[in-house]
Amino acid sequence: MSKENTENGVTEKQGQTRREFMTKTGAVAGAAALGMSGEANAAKKRHPKRGGTLRFATRSDSRGLDQHRNYYYYVSHPLAATSMGMFDVDLKMEPKPGIAVDHTVSKDLKTYTFKLRKGATFHDGSPIDAEAVKWNIGRIKDPKIGHSFIRSSIKDVESVDVIDSHTIKFNLDKPSGVLVASLTYYPVQFMSPNSVGNADNHPIGAGPFKFKSWKKYDRTVLERNENWWETDDQGNALPYLDKIVGFPKKEDRIRLTALRTGEVDLIENMAYTDAAGFDKKYGANFNTWDVPQVGTGYLGFNLKNGPFSYKNPNGKMMRQAAAHAINHEAIHQAIFSGLSETARGFYSKASTWHMPELERKYEYDPDKARFLLKKAGGMDERLVLTSRDAYAYMHQTGEIAHAMLTEAGFNIQHEIHPYAVLKSKWKKGEYSIDSTANSYRPDPDRWFSANVLSTSSNTKLRTGFNNPKADKLILEGKRTLDPAKRKEIYQEVEMIINDELPMIYTHFIPLTCAATKNLKGYEPAFNGPYSTHMSGIRTAWLG
Amino acid sequence: MLIYTINRILHMIPVLFVLTVVVFMFIQLLPGDVIDTLIGDEEAEDPATRELLMKEYGLDKPIYVQYGVWIGKVLQGDFGKSLVTRRPVALELFESIPATVYLAVVGISISMLIAIPLGAIAAVKRNSPTDYTAQIVSLIGISIPEFWFAIMCVLFFSLYLGWLPSSGYMSPFEDLGQSLKYLILPAAAVGFRQAAYTTRLTRSSMLDEMNKEYVDTARSLGFSEKKVIYKYTLRNAMIPTITISGLQLANLLGGTVVLETIFAWPGIGQAIYLAIIDRDYPLIQAGILVLGVIVVIVNLLVDLLYRVLNPRVALN
Repeated sequence: MSKENTENGVTEKQGQTRREFMTKTGAVAGAAALGMSGEANAAKKRHPKRGGTLRFATRSDSRGLDQHRNYYYYVSHPLAATSMGMFDVDLKMEPKPGIAVDHTVSKDLKTYTFKLRKGATFHDGSPIDAEAVKWNIGRIKDPKIGHSFIRSSIKDVESVDVIDSHTIKFNLDKPSGVLVASLTYYPVQFMSPNSVGNADNHPIGAGPFKFKSWKKYDRTVLERNENWWETDDQGNALPYLDKIVGFPKKEDRIRLTALRTGEVDLIENMAYTDAAGFDKKYGANFNTWDVPQVGTGYLGFNLKNGPFSYKNPNGKMMRQAAAHAINHEAIHQAIFSGLSETARGFYSKASTWHMPELERKYEYDPDKARFLLKKAGGMDERLVLTSRDAYAYMHQTGEIAHAMLTEAGFNIQHEIHPYAVLKSKWKKGEYSIDSTANSYRPDPDRWFSANVLSTSSNTKLRTGFNNPKADKLILEGKRTLDPAKRKEIYQEVEMIINDELPMIYTHFIPLTCAATKNLKGYEPAFNGPYSTHMSGIRTAWLG
Repeated sequence: MLIYTINRILHMIPVLFVLTVVVFMFIQLLPGDVIDTLIGDEEAEDPATRELLMKEYGLDKPIYVQYGVWIGKVLQGDFGKSLVTRRPVALELFESIPATVYLAVVGISISMLIAIPLGAIAAVKRNSPTDYTAQIVSLIGISIPEFWFAIMCVLFFSLYLGWLPSSGYMSPFEDLGQSLKYLILPAAAVGFRQAAYTTRLTRSSMLDEMNKEYVDTARSLGFSEKKVIYKYTLRNAMIPTITISGLQLANLLGGTVVLETIFAWPGIGQAIYLAIIDRDYPLIQAGILVLGVIVVIVNLLVDLLYRVLNPRVALN
């Protein structure tokens, strides 16, 4: 006897495979809607299949489970699929309703009132109401608990008032037009207040997948959240997949081998040398995606002390000499295998904040570099170029920049260090140039306020850049709502950067992921496979 | 033997004490601290946040007080909590040590299964094609880098032949068959390399023994050549082999970061390496302490094994 099971609007009939059922129902519904024959419509429509386990190999793993103490790196950590925040982001990097479905802003840009999604629950079934949101914001803001990256997103929030069970008011200490962008997931992710006692062992979030188990650097097992609110364009509840098993495999080629041997279905962060020719060689068996990225590599100068600094009257000339020594095209080819593009500003073409008019003021010209270096009297200065060991492109760019600077006459040595050592060097100012990168700044305020504004902790720690005009513009940009006006403001800041050279933008960081042809309906966004409205793993299924 | 064993266990205490003190002090000398890694960049220069976290994690106290607090808890069986994951250190170690022990024990077993017969046969058939083959194979084993051999194994057995998974780990208690499939390549990579050393050692030690008077005596008493070689000579020749295998095992139990990375094997090597990168002091301390205990125990077992192999060996 046929038995029906209704789950989230998708009725599945036992006695036939899920795929058969989805195919049949999809075809019939589509035909009814469009007045087409079932066959013709079925050929045109995609037919997602519910169920299955996605095996996903990632470069890194989460450091811990508490969602406020650790940020779940959006690209790599499978645990990111368990989280959700006030706003989601779509493929165009625009905020979309998440836990908040609507909002109003006061004229002075100091009060935001949010309407929360009714019926939304955490994975333990407890409601995501205004009290829960207030509790989460309070916990994130506690400096003993909230990770600084998450906390910094909401640093302007002075207090939170519960208006009613599904209305909440955020009061800011200074005007800001960017709070909604700051509240997007990730990193401002919420957890069930009831789970706080066990947050380090079993996180209870609000994302499309629920936590099942985690064994650090071995595997993460997640199960479908049957109460997730998102539906596809046919009204079927998302996600389609029943389970995700994440396998952290640190080495890029190990992940690729695991994909090619069929041990996993999806990998991220392919090595650039592999990604460049992969489609041509293996395109018949695998799909690849160039993930639209907001991640940019740069060489940051130490302006606090040393030959490039404000303390040296010829510091700017030294920086100009270094800028003329850098061959961006060589970095593009040698490090990134011709993928993505060299950078003239922070935002790549993937972002609406991309500024194609920006020009590199100091182009590659080794003769000019040598001339300026000599003129600035910097030939004998002993310099240190640092880079981080954890990311290959950072230290590879460091290596090639080291060769170029040496060629131009700089007396420089290259040091590769782990983060803790680098940070100690930044603090003490024991470096001249740092080969680094920055990512996940969909709104320009998150980049400029954190890394260019002279009063920010990160600017003070790293470059020490201090430009009153840039500061004024950044603060003005934060208070401006009109996107076109904001873009003009930030473009002006970029021009100051390209002139004053606290950093040299080098390259937009490419990111390629690959999957078996079996993975359908998958499209990664700039924020990785999990956190994208109506996309990524949420809409993926195994064929 | 019992008194000897108790004596050796008592000797462990000062060794481990000195080990923990030295590690604790050296870790403090490393640039950067755990607060740097926990706090991230965004509020890196905020002294108030740093102070709060230092207090929260007990790092505001003098080093000797921190050590005293830590060792006091360890003596009560409490290794504390990881500063990064905030999970009990015992749990963190319990998750990674079994994977390492599993790989090391099977790897060394493979090594001995290859090396002892091969070394013995090479010695008995000295200067024969068998001997030359054994010597060349062991020379190759010593010469090729471990990581290269591991990658070649993955290439042939996983990618080309598709017989075995290329990387990953599964507990034998979860699914023994599947677990062994994951184990074969890393254990073979470990075993082949160690076997190369042990084969040469077994061969030379067999040759030494074969030239001793007791072997001639045994032969003159009319014992069969098989009995002379395999019962008397090999048994005595095994002592240096066991010593080296014991050291190899202790070394492997300390973790093989390169192989663990290639095979995505979640062992203690990676766990301690990452703890050092993160400056996760309680995890580093406990990891080193546990490894120290393992090394001392393995050495003790090796010593006891001497006695089993040759009852004339005086343990004290």
